[in-house]
Amino acid sequence: MTAAIEKIAGSGQSAKAVPDDYFTYVAGVGSIPRDIYKHVKSNPLGDMPRYSAHIVIQHILIFTTFIALSASGIPLHYSDAFWAPHVIWIFGGIDTAQVIHRIAAYIMIGASVYHVLTIAGGTIKKIVKKEFDIRRTQVPLPKDLFDLIHDVNYFLGRVPYRPRMEKFMYKQKLHYLAILWGSFVLIFAGLALLYPEYVALLWPFDPSFVQDLARIMHADEAIMALIVVALWHLSNVHLLPGRFPAQWTVFTGKITREHQLEEHFLEYVRNLAEIPEEREYMRSLLAELGYAEKEGEPT
Amino acid sequence: MKIQNLLVMFIVISVTGVGAFFSMALAADPENCLMCHKYPFIGRIGEDGLKRNYHVDEHLFLNSLHGKVECRGCHTYIKKFPHDPVTEPVNCANECHIKPPFAEKNFSHQKIIDVFNTSDHAKNADDSPLMKESKPDCKYCHLNPLYKKADEKNIDYDKTLDRCLNCHMKKGVTRAYLHMTHRLRHKTSRSSQEIVSLCARNCHGNAPLMEKLGVTGRNLEVVETYKESIHGKMTTLGSEKAADCISCHASSLIHDIYKKDNPKSSIHEDNLQATCRNCHAKINEHFVKIAVHPRIKVPHHPVLFVISNLMLRAILYGTVFGLMGLLFLETYRRKKDGIHMKLKAGSSWRIQDKGK
Repeated sequence: MTAAIEKIAGSGQSAKAVPDDYFTYVAGVGSIPRDIYKHVKSNPLGDMPRYSAHIVIQHILIFTTFIALSASGIPLHYSDAFWAPHVIWIFGGIDTAQVIHRIAAYIMIGASVYHVLTIAGGTIKKIVKKEFDIRRTQVPLPKDLFDLIHDVNYFLGRVPYRPRMEKFMYKQKLHYLAILWGSFVLIFAGLALLYPEYVALLWPFDPSFVQDLARIMHADEAIMALIVVALWHLSNVHLLPGRFPAQWTVFTGKITREHQLEEHFLEYVRNLAEIPEEREYMRSLLAELGYAEKEGEPT
Repeated sequence: MKIQNLLVMFIVISVTGVGAFFSMALAADPENCLMCHKYPFIGRIGEDGLKRNYHVDEHLFLNSLHGKVECRGCHTYIKKFPHDPVTEPVNCANECHIKPPFAEKNFSHQKIIDVFNTSDHAKNADDSPLMKESKPDCKYCHLNPLYKKADEKNIDYDKTLDRCLNCHMKKGVTRAYLHMTHRLRHKTSRSSQEIVSLCARNCHGNAPLMEKLGVTGRNLEVVETYKESIHGKMTTLGSEKAADCISCHASSLIHDIYKKDNPKSSIHEDNLQATCRNCHAKINEHFVKIAVHPRIKVPHHPVLFVISNLMLRAILYGTVFGLMGLLFLETYRRKKDGIHMKLKAGSSWRIQDKGK
């Protein structure tokens, strides 16, 4: 414990701020301090497994169709803007842009169905093999809210280190759910706009209301998706310190060690159990830093 | 003669000769009205104080749609030379003394004028003076534009017309064929953008004028709401497929525009399905209930109003500012904690450099 206090004091934080959970004891490895991520070595292309090949392919499909859809759709919504005719010119005219928008939409629907099948299939497989763990999924849990509060406290300087978060922390869950909802609305509103006669059969009481609602929702959700992706998502993967110039995880399927330790600590603990080389690495690193394991002494 | 004089004479004669060649009358003007009317400033100030210009640009006129019609073909009231002051306008229903191909009679616009005179744009005897002044005459929409030779690049008409050329003259048959294919491909000579602009500019988009003429309620917003619709947005961006004003409000006669409650109107509720079917193949009676002039920006429907103006706005601003705020906070603290922008030499945390 004294060594820990010294280490923390050395990094400029008051000794009395050392709470009991500063260390995480992992059997066979040692007591891992919370700020270990500052001391590890990482391969920029990733160390620990995170995404399957299916997810990587789905992401590529989604982002290419997203760019095509927003580039062909936004000038239509803002048809009075000075830049709209120029963007449409790139597509070869509005009638061609319409065709491109629809084709990209169908590809995006296909990618979404592919994703649903992947996730459903993977989940069923895990349940059957009795390996299913809800904490490693995108399902929002109360822990995520507590993590958010803890993290905000950390950002404000009121606690000395970040919470121990799961494979998908609150950021990913927020974003994933936003996309789920956004895609759902965009696809169904889009289909209503594309097949108004069939949608009118489904709700014949007030077809005008349904179409106007579809028009509003499609445009608004698209704009929100574009802003969230452009500002929030692209910042997170390109501009954040430690990720610049890009976070390669989405193409390689692997996450860097320092990122895993900082933001997905509990998943890292599972990686230690699953990957012997990682156990070796962490054990030797802890020894090097002076946190050598003492037999049967969790803190 | 001195060589300089010879040279000067040569230049003068050749320039005059070439100039004379090019100033030969080109328009259909066998009676040489252009002798006076070719001058740019020919005109007068009328009794009402308005300046009138009587210039005819013969190159423009020759290349216009009416280029082959001689002056008195339309200005039939000119009986002698020099002619008396003109008191009556041209009657577009005059016969043109030109027989179109395959026709038995001379060409005349009478048929279309008859259609127009029964439509809602025709001047009625009991119209107010403002209404009479506001209603369009032929020349409001039809401005005798330049004749654009159809240039259908995708048609291999040389091959197609091979057999025709066995009996018919190449120039005539090619022109006829091009005309028909061009007309089949383009529903109007003007683009959809031009048509919308023509209807909206001084009339249907001029709300104060429309109000004075007795238009009420949502009909005052027709141009605005059209532009908020998908058809309007597509025509703004230059679509040739999307519906413009006359796609719905008139049949192929184009001049038969009636009010919605008139059973002859293409937008009467009994005729709507047929009108929409011109573009939308699979429709039913529910499709036609969808608003073509929707209020989207400020919806009237209370539920839509709340959703679009309150709920969606709150969600958008809340989400964006919330997420961006979180991002800035996070970056600020992590940078303070010692992270650097780039992962270099295996780590983003330069704490490792301090030990060295």
